[in-house]
Amino acid sequence: MVILFFFLSFFLMSYPKKLAEIISLMEGLPEMERRETLVSYADQARKQEPREGEAFDLEDIRKDEECTDSVGVFLKVDEAGGCHFRIKLGPQVQTLTRAMTTILCKGLNGLTLEELQAVPQDFVPKIVGAELVRIRSHTVYYILTRMKSAAMVWKKRQVRE
Amino acid sequence: MSSDSNYVHPEVLVSTEWVAEHYKDPSIRIIESNEDILLYDTGHVPGAVHIDWRRDLQDQLVRDYIQPSDFAALCSRHGITPETTCVFYGDKSNWWSCYALWVFRLFGHTKVKIMDGGRDLWISQGRPLTREVPNFSTSNYPVPTKRLDQEIRAFFEDTLKHSQQKLPLVDVRSPGEFSGEVTHMPDYPQEGVLRGGHVPGARGVPWKRAVNEDATFKSAAELRKIYQEELGLKPSDNVIAYCRIGERSSHTWFVLTYLLGFSNVRNYDGSWTEWGNRVGAPIERT
Repeated sequence: MVILFFFLSFFLMSYPKKLAEIISLMEGLPEMERRETLVSYADQARKQEPREGEAFDLEDIRKDEECTDSVGVFLKVDEAGGCHFRIKLGPQVQTLTRAMTTILCKGLNGLTLEELQAVPQDFVPKIVGAELVRIRSHTVYYILTRMKSAAMVWKKRQVRE
Repeated sequence: MSSDSNYVHPEVLVSTEWVAEHYKDPSIRIIESNEDILLYDTGHVPGAVHIDWRRDLQDQLVRDYIQPSDFAALCSRHGITPETTCVFYGDKSNWWSCYALWVFRLFGHTKVKIMDGGRDLWISQGRPLTREVPNFSTSNYPVPTKRLDQEIRAFFEDTLKHSQQKLPLVDVRSPGEFSGEVTHMPDYPQEGVLRGGHVPGARGVPWKRAVNEDATFKSAAELRKIYQEELGLKPSDNVIAYCRIGERSSHTWFVLTYLLGFSNVRNYDGSWTEWGNRVGAPIERT
């Protein structure tokens, strides 16, 4: 039992701190409360949009095949190399994607490029639950992929410059 | 009840006004069915229950629908009896609500209706939404003795035979999917189809042609023009409709069966995700 606890603790600690807190919160919730919490995160998605006067190092706005509406990813990299994201979603974007937007903007804020790329995607089922992943798998990984992709593009541009 | 009394079965279509006036009626159950799995949780028509096409209506192991006993349990859980009028609505111009309605018909539930315009129209008219999940007393829905698989559902072999006999096949996917240029609809993920194209002999009529901008169904005259004049179908024809997984073709099945009164329409729910992967299945490209 002690060994199991040790392994679980180590596993959670391998995620960024804020993300690990969200995982810990969501994993313990019964299904109905988990869904309510996801809806609550989805309700906060508009707060993750760019604010007036903000400048970004990279803006990636597009509508592609993995999502039902446009998604804009805005990246600002601070002097210490920390990544800060803003995300703007089109009105048709699904609720689960909107929830993941808030969760990822909060959970991954301030990570360096290397830390961001190292985040495994196996935390997603822990947050949204195995059932939602199984029946709507294409919607739950999209934003994470877009954030990592934006960061990679920025890094490549830096290398070129 | 519907905006166009010239439909052959206008009684299957109800307006948002009608739903607003009747949602408290105990003989009526309002059912929301969406593509967006959490949309119901963000707010729904007061008194509406949620039925998810995949979680509630499909078998989770075998690619098939739930068993009659599961259907009876689902209905009983929502307080539905064979006498309950089930009014379906949802997102995406009622794709998924038509799909849910079709599955209810598959199990022989006859009292079914669609709220014209679906969720989008209800919201655009400023009608109320609630997050309160209704709790109905459990009913005792009898286990259906059969599924209408022969009557309103087509399988691969039926569709192949249809193609070989040059009987009417309606492909309701987007033009790019029909031509074989893409294997999934625009803006949707690739779902692992190995070949693009269409069933030989099928005619392409995207489902969306049957709806207006506000998600309501087009008038009977407009629908007749599309399906009877342009496509040359007759109400007595033996028709099979298909799409990618049977959801968009449920919409067309609903239009042909109820709004235009075709007597022999089947939905091939295996659709392109079966046909386009099937070893040896003939494919036509244009």
